[in-house]
Amino acid sequence: MSTSSKTSLALAVALVALPVGACGNSEEPGSGDDPSTPGITVYSGRIAPLIGPAIDMYEQKVNRDVEVRFGDSATLAAQIAEEGENSPADVFFSQDAGSLGAIDAEGLLEPLPRDILERVPARFRADDGDWVGVSARSRVIAYGPEVDPDGLPDSPLELTDSEWEGRVGWAPTNASLQGYVTALWLLEGEDVAREWLEGMVANDTQAYESNVPVRDAIAAGEIDVGLINHYYVAEAIAENGPDYPVQVHFPPDDLGSLVNTTGVGVLASTDDRADALGFVRFLLGREAQRYFAESSKEYPLIEGVEPDHSLRPLARIPSPPIDLSDLSDVEGTLELMRDTGAL
Amino acid sequence: MTDRRPVAPASLSIRGLRKSFGDTAAVDGLDLDVDGGRLCALLGPSGCGKTTTLRLIAGLERPEAGSIELGDRPLTAPGAFVPPDRRRIGMVFQDYALFPHYDVAGNVAYGLGRRADRARVKEVLELVGLERVADRPIHQLSGGQQQRVALARALAPTPELILLDEPFSNLDASLRERVRADVREIIAAAGVTALFVTHDQEEALSLAERVAVMCEGRIEQAGTPEEIYSRPSTRWMAAFLGEVEVLAGETRDGRVKCELGSLAVETKVEGAVEVLIRPESIAIGITGPPDATEAEVVGRRFYGHDQLVELRLPSGRTVSSRRLGFPAWHPGDRVQVWVEGPADVLPGS
Amino acid sequence: MAALAARRPPAPLLLAGIAVGGLAALPAVYLAITIAGETTSAAEAVFEPRTLEVAARTAALVAAVTASAIVLAVPLAWLTVRTDLPARRLWATLTTLPLVVPSYIGAYLLVSAFGPRGVLQDVLEPLGVEQLPSIYGFVGAWLALTLFTYPLVLIPVRGALRRLDPQLEEAAGAMGRGPGQIFRTVVLPQLVPAIGAGGLLVALYTLSDFGAVSIMRFDSFTREIYIAYQSSFDRTEAAALGAVLVIAMLALLALYARLRGARTYHRAGPGTVRPAGAIPLGRWKAPALALCGAVVVIALALPVGLLVYWSTQQLGEGVAVGSVLGNAGNSLLVAALAAGVGVIGAACVAVLAVRYPGRVSTLVERLGYAGYALPGIVVALALVFFGTRVALPLYQTLAMLVFAITIHYLPLAVGPLGAAMLQVPPRLEEAARGLGRPPLEVFRTVTAPLVASGALAGAALVFLHAVKELPATLILAPIGFETLATDIWRQTSSGFFEAAAIPALVLLLVAAPPLYLLSEKGTVTS
Repeated sequence: MSTSSKTSLALAVALVALPVGACGNSEEPGSGDDPSTPGITVYSGRIAPLIGPAIDMYEQKVNRDVEVRFGDSATLAAQIAEEGENSPADVFFSQDAGSLGAIDAEGLLEPLPRDILERVPARFRADDGDWVGVSARSRVIAYGPEVDPDGLPDSPLELTDSEWEGRVGWAPTNASLQGYVTALWLLEGEDVAREWLEGMVANDTQAYESNVPVRDAIAAGEIDVGLINHYYVAEAIAENGPDYPVQVHFPPDDLGSLVNTTGVGVLASTDDRADALGFVRFLLGREAQRYFAESSKEYPLIEGVEPDHSLRPLARIPSPPIDLSDLSDVEGTLELMRDTGAL
Repeated sequence: MTDRRPVAPASLSIRGLRKSFGDTAAVDGLDLDVDGGRLCALLGPSGCGKTTTLRLIAGLERPEAGSIELGDRPLTAPGAFVPPDRRRIGMVFQDYALFPHYDVAGNVAYGLGRRADRARVKEVLELVGLERVADRPIHQLSGGQQQRVALARALAPTPELILLDEPFSNLDASLRERVRADVREIIAAAGVTALFVTHDQEEALSLAERVAVMCEGRIEQAGTPEEIYSRPSTRWMAAFLGEVEVLAGETRDGRVKCELGSLAVETKVEGAVEVLIRPESIAIGITGPPDATEAEVVGRRFYGHDQLVELRLPSGRTVSSRRLGFPAWHPGDRVQVWVEGPADVLPGS
Repeated sequence: MAALAARRPPAPLLLAGIAVGGLAALPAVYLAITIAGETTSAAEAVFEPRTLEVAARTAALVAAVTASAIVLAVPLAWLTVRTDLPARRLWATLTTLPLVVPSYIGAYLLVSAFGPRGVLQDVLEPLGVEQLPSIYGFVGAWLALTLFTYPLVLIPVRGALRRLDPQLEEAAGAMGRGPGQIFRTVVLPQLVPAIGAGGLLVALYTLSDFGAVSIMRFDSFTREIYIAYQSSFDRTEAAALGAVLVIAMLALLALYARLRGARTYHRAGPGTVRPAGAIPLGRWKAPALALCGAVVVIALALPVGLLVYWSTQQLGEGVAVGSVLGNAGNSLLVAALAAGVGVIGAACVAVLAVRYPGRVSTLVERLGYAGYALPGIVVALALVFFGTRVALPLYQTLAMLVFAITIHYLPLAVGPLGAAMLQVPPRLEEAARGLGRPPLEVFRTVTAPLVASGALAGAALVFLHAVKELPATLILAPIGFETLATDIWRQTSSGFFEAAAIPALVLLLVAAPPLYLLSEKGTVTS
C-alpha cells in the first residue's frame, strides 16, 4: 500500500471510530445503560481490588449499577473541585480524610443524616457532619526478622537515635505520613515536629515513594524498620502466609499509632441523593464492614463487627484528641518537611 | 497535428502597475501592451522587476495600483481581482515546477480538471514531441524534456495567455538555440499570446516579435527588436542593448557632425546632441572615404567570427569597432575610420 | 525569483489555525484563570527560595539529559547509516526501539536492575559487592530519561544523514581532510537542524516528565506540581508552578528559534542524491559494536527481558489475560484517534507557519507547545474545568479524552509536517493554482501527497506518546474505559508490580510498529 493510501486508511479509520467512541461506551459488562434505573457514580481513591467486591455486593443488593472512576484520592479531589456543581459524581470514596476535608472546605459535600453519622465513633467522622469514616488504619512501626521486638521504641520519635541509623524507611510523599507529622505538630507543637524531622533526616532514613516499597524493603532486608500503615503488612501476611518476615508494632507514645480513616461523602452536586445515601449506608452496614475487616485487614468502624484477631483492637490504641479533618491542612507540614530536607 | 487557436487570441493590456516590497518599489508605474497572438519578450537586467510583473499578471501577487486586462476581461483593477485559478493564464516557471508525484501525462492533464480529456493530453504531448514518454516519472527526464512538459502542461487547458519566466536559463548552452526555436514554433502553432521574461538580450532580440525593455520597475522602451536596437530612446537603452559609442555632436538640417564625420540622421532635434553609434557601424580601412577620420589601433580582440578593435581618435578619445574578423589589425596600425550604418542621436545634455 | 514578502493567509485557514492554537492553549488559559483570583498566593508559591532551587535542579536535569541524548544519538546515527557496521540495519532498528518504553516503566526497570535490591546487586553480591552506589536521585533520573528519549534525536539525525549529499564530503576528502575532520567540519554542521529539533523534543519531554523522576525520587518541577495537587490540595500553587513551566517552555522555544535562524527552503534537487558509500571502520569495529550493544542491552534488552520474565511468571500463576487484550484495543483506539486528529490540527498550524510566516502563525505554533510542556495532570484538569463549564455533554466521553491527549501531544505532529512542507516549493502550489485549481484542491492534489510521509511521521509520534498516556486517561476517560496504562497503574498502585508486567509488555508491542514506521520515514524535525 502506498504511503498516501496508508494515511487515508488511518484517517478513515479514525474518523469512523470517533463518533462510535464518542457515545462514551463503557466496557463493563452490564454497564449502566439501562435508562430506567441509572445508578450512582462514585469517584474512588480506593483501588478496584480493594473495594470492587464490596461494590459488586451493593449492585446485586439494589439491582442497580454503580459506575466507579478509580484514581488517586487527591487527584480526584482536585477533579471534583474543578468540576464544581457540574460534577457527574454522586459519592466520593477517599483513601484518607485529608482529601475529603479539602473538598469539604470548598463546600462541595452535603451534610449526612444523623443515622449515618452515628454509626461510627465521633472521632472517625467530620465535625460538621459532611463525611463519615468507613474503615480505619493505624500507623505502625513495621519491623523485619533481624529486629528484636523488645528493642522496638514506644515512640517514633526515638527512631532518631543512632542505633537506628540507616535502618529506618519511610514514604515522605505519602498522605498518611504527612498526616502523622501534621498531627504531631498540632498536638505537640512545631518544634517537636521539626526536631523529629531533622533527626530522621540526619539519621539517614531511607525514603521510598509509597508504603508498599517500604514494606517490601523490610522484607528484603534492605532496612530493618519502617513507618507505614498496619494493613500493608496484614495483607502481605494473608497473601504469603504467616511466615512472612515483616510484623507490626503499635508504638503507644507520641501518636505512634495514629489512626486515620478512609471516608465517604455525598457531593452536593448529586442528582440522586437517595441512592447515594443508600450506598453510604451500605458501606457502613455489616456486610461491607465485615468485608473490609476480612479482605484488607482494616479496622471496621461500626459496632458489632470485629477486626481481624491478629490486630490490636481499636479500643486499645490511644486516641489523641484530633479532628481528622484538620489533617487536611498539610500546607505547613509540607513546608516544614521541605525545610528540614525530609521532602 | 491539429492546433487549437482561441477564437480571437486575447491581447494583454497593463496600465500603471505598481507593487512594492517593503520600501522598495519592484514595479513602479508599468504600462505594457501585448497584441493578441504575438510573442513578446520582457527584457531587463536582474532586479528590474520583470519576474514580479509576471507574477502580477498571473495573479500570484496583488499590486498596490494599476490594472491588468486580458482580452476585454479585467483581471486586476481597483476593486476587482480575479484569483490565479480563474485567469486562464498558463505559466512556465524557471525551474519548471513539475509535480514530482505525477508522471508526464499526469502533469499535463492536471490543468484539464478532474476528468481530463485523454485526447487533448495526447494532442498536446504530440505538439511538444513527448508523446512517447507520457508515463515516465518526471525525474527521469532531461532538462530539455522537463521544459517541454512544463510548456505542454501550460498549453493543455488552451489558455488565453502564456507566461514564461526565464524559460531557457536552466538549459545547457548547446541546447539553447535548438530549444528556443522549438518553443517558438510550438507557441506559434498553438496560436496563443505569449510573454516571456529574460535577461538575455540575444534571446529577446532573436525570438520575440516585440520586445519591452524594463528598467527599475517600468518599461523603458518597447518595439520591434530592430526598432529598439537601432533607435534606443534613451542613453541607458542604448548602453543596455549591445555596445554603443556616444560622441558629442551637432545636428543641422538632417545631418549630425561629430568626430567620426558628418552622418545622416532622422531627428527633429537641432543643435547639440549625443550621437549613438554601434561599434559594428564603425568601419576601418587603410584608406577610406573623403570624410574618414584618422585613428590609431591601440587594441584588438579576436572572436573568430568578428574582432573588436580599439581605436584612438585624434582628439585622444577611444572608440571600439566590431567588424569581421579579417583583415587583422594590430596595435600601432594607422588607419582610417568612418561610419557605415545607422546612427542615432539623443538630445544633448 | 525574488523572496516573497509575507502574505496574508486566506480567512478560512487563518480561522482554522487560530482555532487549533486556541484550543491547544486551553491548558495555559486554565492556568491563567486559576491564578487570576489568587495572584498573591500564586506569587508567593513561585518566588519562594525553594522554587528557585527546584527550578535550578530541573534546568540542570534538562540540560544534562539533552546533552547526553545528543552525545549518545549522533554517533549511533552515524554508525548505523554511514559505516560498514555489521548487521547495520538490525542495529538501526534496535537503537530506535527504546522510545517505546514509557519513562515510568523504564525507570522502574532500571531500579529493579541496578537498584539497591536489584538484579545486578544479587548477581554481584556473591562477589563481595555489598552495596551498589545508589541509583536514585539526579543520576537515576538522568540515566532513565536519557536512555528512553535519545531516539527522539536519533531518528531525525539518521534521516538527515541519509539525505546528505556525499559530494561535499568527497570534496573535503580531496582537499586532504581526514575522516574526523570531515565529520566535524562538513557533516556535523549539516546535522545541526536535526540535532536541534530532536534535542528540543528531549528537553521539553524532560521538563514535563513525571514518571521517571518520581520513581527515581528526583525533586523536579513536575514533582512539585504533583505534590501541590496531592498533598496540599492547593490548585493555585500547582497552577502557579505550571505557569512557570509554560514560561520556561516558551523561553526554550525562543532560544531554539534564535539558534536555528530563519527557515530556509530545502528544495529537493533534480534527481535523487547518490547514496554515500559505507565508511570502513577497521579496528573501530569492535568498540562500535560494543557501544551499540551496550545501549541496546541497557535500554531495550534489559527492560524487555525483565518484563518477559515477569510476564511468564504471571502467566504461570494463571493470571487472566483476556482483559489485557481489551485494554490494548482501547489504548490503540485512543492513540489512533489522537494521532489522526493531531495530524489534521498540525496541518493547519504547519501550513500557516510555513506558507504564511508572521506573528500570528508564530503565536499559534508556540501556544501549541504549552500543552506538551505541562504535565498530563494539568492538561486533564484544564479540560475538566472547561469541559464541565462549556461542553458538559461531551465531558468524560471518549471524544474529550482524545481531545485532551491531542492537545497534549500536538506539537509532536507539527514538527515533521512543517519539515515536510518546507520541502514543497511554493512554486508547485502556484503552478497548480495557475492551472485552474482552487486553493483547497491544490492542497489536496499537490501539497498533501507530497507531505504525506511527514504527516505519517507526525501521526506515529503522537501515537507513540498517546498509547502510554496515564493521568488524562484516569481523569477524563469514560468510566470503565481501561487502557493498558491504567491497567499498569492499577497494578502498581496496589503494589503488585510484577502483575503489571503483562500489560507493560503488551504496551511495548503495541507501540513498536509505529516506531518502526517513524524510524523509516526518518523525520521528526521542524
